Amino acid sequence: MSAIPAEAYVAALAGFRHMSVWRLGALLRLHPPHEAWQVVLGERPSSGLVAQALAAKGVRPAWRECARERGPMEVLERCAALGVRVLPYGHPDYPGGLLDDLHPPPVLFARGDLSLLAGRRVAIVGTRNATAQGRETARALGYGLASAGVHVVSGLARGVDGYAHRGVLAAEGAGRPIGIVASGLDVVYPREHRDLWEAAANCGLLLSEAPPGVPPEPHRFPLRNRIVAALSEVVVVVESRERGGSLITAAQAVERDVPVMAVPGPVGRRSASGTNGLLCDGATPVTGADDVLTALSFQHGRSAVLPADLRARPRSADIGAYRVLQADPRTIDGVALALGNGLVEAAMSLARLESAGWVAQADGWFECVGSPLR
Amino acid sequence: MLAAVRSATVFGVEGRPVTVEVHVSTGLPAFLIVGLPDEACRESRDRVRAAVLSSGLVWPSCRVTVNLAPSSQRKGGSGLDLAIAIGFLAANKQLPVEQLEGLGFVGELGLDGSMRAVSGVAPMVMAMGAVRPVVPLASFREAQGVVGDGVRVAATLREVVDALNADEPWPQPPDTDFHDEEPAPPDLADVRGQALARQGLEVAAAGSHHMLLVGPPGSGKTMLAQRIPGLLPALQHDVSLEATMVHSAAGVRLPAGGLIRRAPFRAPHHSSSMVSLVGGGTTSLRPGEISLAHGGVLFLDELGEFAPSVLDGLRQPLEEGVIRLARARASAAMPAKFLLVAATNPCPCGGGAPGVCECDDGARLRYLRRLSGPLLDRFDLRVGVARPGVDDLLAAGGGEPTASVAQRVAAARERSLERIGMATAHIPPAQLDALAPLHPAARARLRDQLERDLLTGRGYHRVRRVARTIADLAGADELVLDEHVVMALQLRVRLSVSSRERAA
Repeated sequence: MSAIPAEAYVAALAGFRHMSVWRLGALLRLHPPHEAWQVVLGERPSSGLVAQALAAKGVRPAWRECARERGPMEVLERCAALGVRVLPYGHPDYPGGLLDDLHPPPVLFARGDLSLLAGRRVAIVGTRNATAQGRETARALGYGLASAGVHVVSGLARGVDGYAHRGVLAAEGAGRPIGIVASGLDVVYPREHRDLWEAAANCGLLLSEAPPGVPPEPHRFPLRNRIVAALSEVVVVVESRERGGSLITAAQAVERDVPVMAVPGPVGRRSASGTNGLLCDGATPVTGADDVLTALSFQHGRSAVLPADLRARPRSADIGAYRVLQADPRTIDGVALALGNGLVEAAMSLARLESAGWVAQADGWFECVGSPLR
Repeated sequence: MLAAVRSATVFGVEGRPVTVEVHVSTGLPAFLIVGLPDEACRESRDRVRAAVLSSGLVWPSCRVTVNLAPSSQRKGGSGLDLAIAIGFLAANKQLPVEQLEGLGFVGELGLDGSMRAVSGVAPMVMAMGAVRPVVPLASFREAQGVVGDGVRVAATLREVVDALNADEPWPQPPDTDFHDEEPAPPDLADVRGQALARQGLEVAAAGSHHMLLVGPPGSGKTMLAQRIPGLLPALQHDVSLEATMVHSAAGVRLPAGGLIRRAPFRAPHHSSSMVSLVGGGTTSLRPGEISLAHGGVLFLDELGEFAPSVLDGLRQPLEEGVIRLARARASAAMPAKFLLVAATNPCPCGGGAPGVCECDDGARLRYLRRLSGPLLDRFDLRVGVARPGVDDLLAAGGGEPTASVAQRVAAARERSLERIGMATAHIPPAQLDALAPLHPAARARLRDQLERDLLTGRGYHRVRRVARTIADLAGADELVLDEHVVMALQLRVRLSVSSRERAA
């Protein structure tokens, strides 16, 4: 028994049914890992929170069953096979930023380069239902920060999170993607982000509180957000509604004295109501990567190199349509009405703008993409 | 004594001639009907007997046997009542048998001897062939619409008997100089704004393109769909006749003129069953909504809420323009050539402008997946409809009225019929290059769309057909220009799942 390393027990315990972060934390505070294992098997008495947890309905049989189903070595071997490192609280490689956290994760699972956590880190978070503008902003921020050598922490979710990391990868700078995910590191979610997931594991860092095989259960996402906040020096919210996971991240950041920054949006636009609310509450506005770098007290003589805009300049006849869309997303009817043009002229303008990459269309709505005309 | 009377029943949308043979003999008093009558048909014994007695005629105590020939076919409905009564009276020598020559009888009898309308009079008189039909007063227009002049009408059994006995002349049919009294369909002038959707309606009507309207609740999808029949030209005579048969067989009210001349509009609820939609039923195979929409528009609101099996049932008729129903005992083919117009929300919450939708990606994806699949491929047009803005609602004057749009539609239909002999929606892919040649700029545009994965191969053919229709509407000559293709692409909205745009 004693040949089994401590992290094997911890990794196995973290995958139990009815095992919450709090319960696992209490268990490991009261008992060393191998004793904790005996406690869940019922071979050793316990007290305090752990006794309470065990007394809760269904917990004791569930834990016992989980312990029989999969032994500690089995879990550890699976982690090793996947290239996943197990970092129990107190492990030499356990992220320092989390050691004195309000709710430190009892154990972390990691793929990639843990030394990145020693660098400068900024979280970029936001809604999954991002508008074209929000996606572009996230990408531009990711690009700018990565070019300046700042690592970008995010949740690898759809929408803003994903686009921030796409920007990081496009920059090919010193900044790396750090993905904090809610599911096991072998359970890619959302599935279309497999490429980002692999990129983070290979050239950045991928962290999770859940052992391999754990599905992306809804309650894990808010918990994941506290790690995002705790591991970042600044949290930037790109686009958020009046409620949403990114606001949870912002609240967690406030609790931890991590500065919160937000990208302003049009007043009254639902997609910006959350971020505008943060600004009202005192968050620092962000209009570009420079603002974030300033907040990090970067000495940057020149602003981050932006990728050259290779898009063909719209012809003069189409600029009217572009300006209309800059104010608000519109349908083709709305564009035609605003321009006082016929449907065909509006359609031709939009088609030219779209094929040149200036506007994007979804569900019949047109939105501007990328940097505005100067 | 024996008498034979000509009548008919309905099966599917077709009438089938029936000869009602009545034999009256001495013996134990009885009234038997043989020849596979259904329940309604068998009950006619009681109606006929009461009607004869109420009409002041005699029902002696005798043995009456009625045979419905051909006796191997099932007969349904109450339309044989009159024929059975007349047959009995003739066999009982209360009527001269020779007077029945050249006449066919259709109608239900009331216990008081009155004659009531039945469904399916149109196909029945059609099936009886070269005889003068005798029908209830209420069915006169329907019968006249099919066979023209020579229809005899009566309000009661007594009137028929008196006319046959030559005691009285045949009752005068009601005034025939009826006007087309159908209320005009809703007008496009009521629609504010919605320029793109208007264009979509026009194209759908001109090229017979099936159309899907995508938009949030309250954006006017139903209102728009209801205005398509007004854009379609009047039905041609053969289609009009077929549509009349279907409506008659289904017992749906016919216009005052007797014939359906305007394109019908059917909008079944999304809880509709397969049988109600495609037709069927145990004995008579009643036509379904798709047949009732023959020559017109079938509108399916909330497409995603229809049971998937029901929607699958639409595929074969969409291809063939006819629905073939087979049952253990019989099979029937019913016309079902319609313009399919469907409406759906973009997502469960109704959606709207970007960033407004409240649905999570999973819900959105599931919702769209319900729509996807083979049926979604049948729509040439996928038109995004947004709630009209304040500017639109306040804009002076209504939109272009139906009448002027219908003129363009008629001209475009004529042009395409003349040039290619069919509606543009039916151009086979192999003939697209010959019938809808592209201007080089238009070709480049489509190539670009294909290369950027914004268009699939199937979508490509559909866009080309739609572009051809738009060119026809614009009065363009041979070549399909870039602007026509651009417009066709606008009429094929891309449905997106959050940040992951799906190719169309």
